[in-house]
Amino acid sequence: MKNNNYMKVTINKQDEKTFVVLDGRIDSTNADQFQQDVAPLMEGDNPDIEFDCTGMTYTSSQGLRVFLLLQKSVVARNGKMMLCNMNPRVKEVFDITGFSNIITIV
Amino acid sequence: MMKKRFNPIKDRSSEIVAFLMSSPDMPKDEELRFKIELSIEEAVENVVQYAYEGGIGWLEAGTKLDDKSLVLTIELRDAGVPFNPLEKDDPDITLSADERPVGGLGIFLCKSMMDSISYRYEDGNNVLVMKKRVVS
Repeated sequence: MKNNNYMKVTINKQDEKTFVVLDGRIDSTNADQFQQDVAPLMEGDNPDIEFDCTGMTYTSSQGLRVFLLLQKSVVARNGKMMLCNMNPRVKEVFDITGFSNIITIV
Repeated sequence: MMKKRFNPIKDRSSEIVAFLMSSPDMPKDEELRFKIELSIEEAVENVVQYAYEGGIGWLEAGTKLDDKSLVLTIELRDAGVPFNPLEKDDPDITLSADERPVGGLGIFLCKSMMDSISYRYEDGNNVLVMKKRVVS
C-alpha cells in the first residue's frame, strides 16, 4: 500500500546515458529526500539524463526547486536532461512556472 | 464547513493539508483537487516555515462551500509576523535556467491555481483567503 507521501527514485546507468524512474509525489515532506536521491545526477561531465515521469503524480514548488537545481547543474556541465511521459496535471505546474521553457519535457 | 486550530505547527504541514483536503466541502474531481491541494500546501508551508520563529505558534485552517455559487473558500489564519505574501513580485518566467533564482514559486502557484486569493491583517492575525469555484 502506497502511503500519502510515497516517492521513489530509481537510477540506472546504461553506457553514457542515465535513466531515472520517478514514482509517486514530491511535496514538502519528501523534497529534501528527493534532492538527496538525485544527488548522484549532479556529478560527472556531459551528463545525459532521461527521467521517466509516468508514475509522478504531484509536485509542489519544493519539487520544482530540485528540478531547477538539477537543470542548472546539467547546463553547467554541458549536459542534457529530459523529462518524459509527464502527466498533464504535473505538466501544467511546469508550464505555469515557465519551467517548461528551461527544462526539456517530451 | 470545517475549521481547526493546529498548535504547534512545526513539521505539521502535511497533516494540515490532509485535514483541509478531507473536508466535505472539497470537490471529488481529481483535477480540481490537484490544484486545490497544491495551493493549500504552498500557503500552509509558507506559514509553517516563516510565520513564527522556530515554528512555535498556531495556524487555524478552515473551509467553507457556498451551496449556491459553488465557491469553495479556504481560510488560513496565524498570529505570526505580519506578512502579506501577495506583495511579492511574480517570478520572471522568461529567464533562462542559469538566470532563474531558486525558490519563490509557492505563492505564485497559489495565485495561478485558485480563482482569487486575498490577504488581510486583522486583530493581530495574518488572514489568507483563497477561493475556487468547484464545478468541473
